[in-house]
Amino acid sequence: MHSDPPDDRDALREKIIGLGETSLHKSYYPELQNRLAELERFRALLDQTYDAIFLIHAETGMLADVNATVSAFLGYSKKELLKKSFIDLVAEQRKARFIEYVRKRSDLVSGSRQTCTTVLVSRDGTEIPMEITVREVTFSGKRYVTAIAQDITERLLAERELRIKESALESSTNGILIADPTGAVMYANRSFAAMFGCEEASALTGRNLEAFFADPAVGGEITAHLLDDHAIVREAVGLREGGSPFHIQVSGSTVLNDAGQPLCIMLIVMDITERILAEQLRRETYAQLGKNIEQFAILGDHIRNPLQVIVGYAEMIDDPFAEKILDESRRIDGFITELDRGWLRSANVRQFLLKHGDGSSSARKIRFRFLNVKEEDS
Amino acid sequence: MIPRNQLDLRKFVAPEFICGRGALELAGRYARNFGMKQVLLVTDRGVRAAGWAGAVADSLTEAGVSFTVFDAISPNPRSRQVMVGAEVYVAEECNGIITVGGGSPMDCAKGIGIAGSSRRDILGFEGIDRVSVPTPPLICIPTTAGSSADVSQFAIITDETRKRKVAIVSKMIVPDISLLDPEPLTTMPRELTVDTGMDTLSHAVEAYVSNASSPMTDVHALEAIRLLTSALPAAIAEPENLDLRFSTLLASLHAGLAFSNASLGAVHAMAHSLGGAYDLSHGRCNALLLEHVMAANYGAASDRYDRIGAIIGGGETTPAERVAAFRRTLGITETLAAAGVREDAIPALAAAAYADPCMVTNPHNLTCEEIERIYDDAL
Ligand SMILES: [Fe+2]
Repeated sequence: MHSDPPDDRDALREKIIGLGETSLHKSYYPELQNRLAELERFRALLDQTYDAIFLIHAETGMLADVNATVSAFLGYSKKELLKKSFIDLVAEQRKARFIEYVRKRSDLVSGSRQTCTTVLVSRDGTEIPMEITVREVTFSGKRYVTAIAQDITERLLAERELRIKESALESSTNGILIADPTGAVMYANRSFAAMFGCEEASALTGRNLEAFFADPAVGGEITAHLLDDHAIVREAVGLREGGSPFHIQVSGSTVLNDAGQPLCIMLIVMDITERILAEQLRRETYAQLGKNIEQFAILGDHIRNPLQVIVGYAEMIDDPFAEKILDESRRIDGFITELDRGWLRSANVRQFLLKHGDGSSSARKIRFRFLNVKEEDS
Repeated sequence: MIPRNQLDLRKFVAPEFICGRGALELAGRYARNFGMKQVLLVTDRGVRAAGWAGAVADSLTEAGVSFTVFDAISPNPRSRQVMVGAEVYVAEECNGIITVGGGSPMDCAKGIGIAGSSRRDILGFEGIDRVSVPTPPLICIPTTAGSSADVSQFAIITDETRKRKVAIVSKMIVPDISLLDPEPLTTMPRELTVDTGMDTLSHAVEAYVSNASSPMTDVHALEAIRLLTSALPAAIAEPENLDLRFSTLLASLHAGLAFSNASLGAVHAMAHSLGGAYDLSHGRCNALLLEHVMAANYGAASDRYDRIGAIIGGGETTPAERVAAFRRTLGITETLAAAGVREDAIPALAAAAYADPCMVTNPHNLTCEEIERIYDDAL
């Protein structure tokens, strides 16, 4: 049979009478306090955000609530703000446009989000460009618009700076190519496209930079080198869209993130075809010049040697013409000596040859010979 | 017998209530005052058919308060019905409950409030002081003069799978306001009037002899007995007499205030056990048990029972006999056996009754055997 301990029954009886620890009449107050504390916490969070938050009566446009950031931005107290309509805060020259914007969107489905930019004016007249996200909401059957505004002053400045940099890149006469670390093209400027025979720079996006070298391996080498070394300058043979090769100089660098990892690589490309051709022409000219001088020296020897024989004979014979022959021989020797000397005097040419000559043996021989002449001469 | 001392600590909890003709029409105003925007209107099909749910709905509409009607409720409301109601309450985003009807819709509405705000199964709240989350505002409009659920801290829900009644006792579920209008009582059929009347009498008697009674509850209990025994037979004879109906309603209110604070005893503990197992009318169970429990308890509170007997009056010698004579005049002449109760079921019924929280405040600490004997007597 059942027999509960009397203590249990007594405790139960106490509770039924209403004397138990939790024998309480219903009260919403503890819950209300919890909710209020929750609201206060939430309010504090909202006040901490960098965004200015407005709650606007949808019918009248009057402000229903604002967070502390609004006061901080605009310099009005909350009390003052709640007497204003949102449009009062919009800069005079932007009002018409803003009203038009709101009017156009007033038939939108409730709850959808819209973003616009406008300018708000603070109490002291400072104009603050703002990006505003508006959304219609319904609380307790009343329509409101929430507007969350972000100060975009700095963003606009940064955008302007970026635009300047962008147009500098775009308008550079050097070809500029930006690729991701795998070598896939992210950006190519107009000059690059023109250099490689492509009409639209944007059409190059996504291609691997290997495609721009006559030897595709060079592209890979450059990428690998940049990822390793972060900078490179080298010459290579580029390949145009149509398949024709041309000489280029590539200066590359790697853009790193804060952690030092490569974000992208940038190549500055110059068309050096003309320079390469000029160098080739110069090399060929110097070689020809060297050959000519050697031949000229040989020619001098060929003249002097018979002339010495002639002088020898003329000294030995006693003939009135002998003196004439010797005179003429001295004149001829004088011409040749003068020619040798003339070469010696053209020190610029000699230095130039020393510096830029291709180092062929004929040029060195000539120099040696000239030094001999000089010794004899002095 | 538990000695009584008037210096013992006692508490008296009562809801706000408005009684009188037209009280029902104030439903809309109070709903609005309690901040209700979407009301769950809990009722049953009978009350709806009689037009009282519609009258409350009109009042709500007039006050600009929206509502959803929930009427899928049987007598002896089931836990499943409570949970369905709680689902509707949550789904319809209700923030208040109004119930119009007898004990079943009112108990069910209390259950919906508990389950709806705690989001837990209602059967988990069985016992005393188990409700911790405040329930939504609750407005009660009784259409019977019996259960007094509109002023009490009790909700009795049937655990249909285990065929037993679960008592949820908590000050948290005392309604916020009760609108006591005699008008809806006029459409009660005779049998319902009789059964609910006997429930009222049982409430008053049990509260008066309860070991948790107090001077405050005594006043209400005795007044309930006085009002009921004189008004009920007359109201049965003149069902549309508003004054008589109002007296039975007042009797129920007094009895409710008494038992909600002094609690009940063996009659209700045993009736809950019966109602859970046999799905019998609660008032009828009480009517068939009351005189037998009075007889068994008499020694523990004889002076109090004598006082009750004196109020009821009549030529019989004991208070129990006077109560028996009273119910016979109302036309209740059967026994438990006639209501379908079998003798072999008695031990299980007694065990369940013994465990019922109402048994704690019975003036005499009944053993299971004693309870079995009472069932036997009533058979
Ligand atoms: Fe009852």
